[in-house]
Amino acid sequence: MYQRSYYKRLFLQYCAYGLTLCVSLSTGLAEDDYLTEEQLYGDFAEEPTLVPDPLESVNRLTFKFNDFIYMNVVKHIAKGYQQVTPDPVERGASNFFKNLGYPVRLVGNLLQARIKGAWLETERFAVNTTLGVVGVLPAANRFERLQPLQSEDMGQAFGAWGIGEGPYLVLPLLGPSNMRDLFGLVGDRAVNPLKDSYSVIGDSNVQTAFSATEFAVKSPTLMRIYSQMKAGAVDPYSSMKNGYSQKRRSMIEE
Amino acid sequence: MKFSSIIACVALFAVLPTQADESAKLATTMEATLDIIYQDAYKDYTSAQRQDAVRAIVEDKYDLEVLIRRAMARNWSLLTADEQMQVHNLIDQLIVKSFVEGMAGQGRPIVDCGAVIEVTSKRIEVPVVISFPSGKTFNVLYRLGLLKTGWQIYDIVAEDISMVSNYRQQFDDHFREENGARLIEKLEKLLKKEVLDVSTIIL
Repeated sequence: MYQRSYYKRLFLQYCAYGLTLCVSLSTGLAEDDYLTEEQLYGDFAEEPTLVPDPLESVNRLTFKFNDFIYMNVVKHIAKGYQQVTPDPVERGASNFFKNLGYPVRLVGNLLQARIKGAWLETERFAVNTTLGVVGVLPAANRFERLQPLQSEDMGQAFGAWGIGEGPYLVLPLLGPSNMRDLFGLVGDRAVNPLKDSYSVIGDSNVQTAFSATEFAVKSPTLMRIYSQMKAGAVDPYSSMKNGYSQKRRSMIEE
Repeated sequence: MKFSSIIACVALFAVLPTQADESAKLATTMEATLDIIYQDAYKDYTSAQRQDAVRAIVEDKYDLEVLIRRAMARNWSLLTADEQMQVHNLIDQLIVKSFVEGMAGQGRPIVDCGAVIEVTSKRIEVPVVISFPSGKTFNVLYRLGLLKTGWQIYDIVAEDISMVSNYRQQFDDHFREENGARLIEKLEKLLKKEVLDVSTIIL
């Protein structure tokens, strides 16, 4: 009798567990716990808004011109440069020109009152120029304290001051930009001791040769970024516009 | 707690989507897709076969429609039901094609999926570092939302560029002057050509 009652109770207990389990499984999370259609297909706050482009028709023309030059001239320069240059030399040349960009990064940091960043850039420049043989070797990277910072320029500094980006621009040969970054670019050139108009290189032929070499060294990276932005794009112009703006906004926020 | 109670709890929690598992799930999916591209077992596959195999793996784990509809955003409603289906299929193919062709000629990267970051109870992020043998490293952020079908990827942010925002800009610009039929034409044309000029891509 006792045993029968025990089994009955056990049976009921398992029925209750089973029922609980079924209910739990079907309603493990309430409706509110999922993203709704409206939430999912609307805009999330962290996503950048679209880019103002009142000069679109002119920009598209310039983009086409640049595209022609990139795909028919720059691409071949990049390929040729990579074919004739062994990888270590390529890396060394890239490091050399990156190191020479120190004044631009220094001013970019100072304009944003980033004294620590400015000092770190100075230390990196000193170490790379001396231990790294005029910047060919990234010697500063060997020191944990001297790891590279995100590159700063005047356009970023203007952004950090709260100056709006203005209309989107496509600059001939130089590619995507905006009004604020165009002014920044002019400022960057002014503080760069190797570029006009305050260049420390007196001879204009040497200056041209130097700029041409710098362009060749940077061309593989330029083509890589350009090809990646174009790849899979329904509208390469729009893709580039949005990609450039997102990247710059993120650099300014950081 | 009785043994039967523990069983009930384990069974319950086994089916609820947990956030912590998402990093491992993403890593497994990414490694499986890389296997298709880099393992000797698949070396005789054509690019199209690789794309099919990669698509099967991804679609087994995630619903790409979420990404596509988010990229289309308000423009989705401008398409007819038939166009929506076509656009969905074409973009789906385009994403996979870009991935497979972009990886061609590169050494196999090391994928390091970081810990899940909780944004809200319905939204998480998984930071991933992809390191190529050439020394190039890419930071990618996978954004996931909790749907009834589980955690689904709703955006991929590569080097600070949101894929959804980028495509949304392209679709917005397209629909300002053109229509769904023209978009389908563009997508078909894009799929017919080799998307990436891989000889210039040096990662």
